[in-house]
Amino acid sequence: MNIQYKKGVLDLCVLSLLKKHDRYGYEISEYLSNHIDIADGTVYPILRKLKSEGLLTTYMQEESGGPPRKYYSLTKLGLETYKKERAQYLNFAKRVEILLEDDSNDKE
Amino acid sequence: MTRNEFLSKLADELKKNNITDSDEIICEYEQHFAFKMADGYSEEEITAKLGNPAELASQFESVGEVKKSGGRKAATIIGLCVFDIFAGAFFVLLAAWEIIMAVFSLCNAVAAVCLFSGISPWSLIPSIPYWPSMVFGLSLSALSVLSAVGCIYFTAFIRQLMRSYSRFHQNTIAAASGSAVLPSLGIYPRLPAKFNRRIRSVALFSLTLFTTCFVLGMIISMILSGALEFWHAWGWFGYKS
Repeated sequence: MNIQYKKGVLDLCVLSLLKKHDRYGYEISEYLSNHIDIADGTVYPILRKLKSEGLLTTYMQEESGGPPRKYYSLTKLGLETYKKERAQYLNFAKRVEILLEDDSNDKE
Repeated sequence: MTRNEFLSKLADELKKNNITDSDEIICEYEQHFAFKMADGYSEEEITAKLGNPAELASQFESVGEVKKSGGRKAATIIGLCVFDIFAGAFFVLLAAWEIIMAVFSLCNAVAAVCLFSGISPWSLIPSIPYWPSMVFGLSLSALSVLSAVGCIYFTAFIRQLMRSYSRFHQNTIAAASGSAVLPSLGIYPRLPAKFNRRIRSVALFSLTLFTTCFVLGMIISMILSGALEFWHAWGWFGYKS
């Protein structure tokens, strides 16, 4: 699948994962690369971008038997942005689907 | 590619792209290696899945550094402080009105109780026959409820206004310092729909009860006293019949 398609919605996927609960970078990377076929490394630039836009905050948390992990958490702005963009995306995807389905039906 | 090769290549590329906080980014990838290696992957496998360091570094580049803004922020804060003085006075005024409404509601409630029970503290309530006293008592208790509802709604309004103002405050400072801005808030209170409906029906009911009982009380009093200006007949407000 075209990488440009994926890039556009990865931000949204990251926000969606963080909406449920706070996660650390590796967790997000693993989850996304298991569900969507992307290179493992691409998640970290996205996390940093979302943080610099104020959608995410980070905090360190000690884990038993390991170095402290950097957790990402959704900010209020992040949540509001997620809700808005989610609705927009779903609406868009629905329209595209209708369009594409229609096209295949018309084929004689 | 080994772990160290990958990390040093990434660090070089990041430096080339003038990324200031490259240590933090490298740290994130080090953690990635640590987790993956704990799961039993080899360094080669991990770097292969991570992607090309140069390509990754260029994705960091597109983030863009935080915009610099010097004197604008200070000027904005001074302006906001001046504005706050006026806004603060305005909020004090609103709060005072809220208190007046609450006291009005309380006074009505007390007067209604006095009328119902026939008590006249410090002879404040003029002498009044039984039936008009009951009807006026009902009317005043409805007025008390009505103003209490007004109080509740007004409290919600002030609260929303304050939240909206503080959002404006945050956003102005955030915009001046070049950081992210939250969407602005409306000034009207958004009460839960159920509560909103209930409060509206209570308000309508008490308004109707107040008006009806007030008019009814006037009419009964006029009939009982045999005079249009029944307060003269009963010697209220210092009139002596």
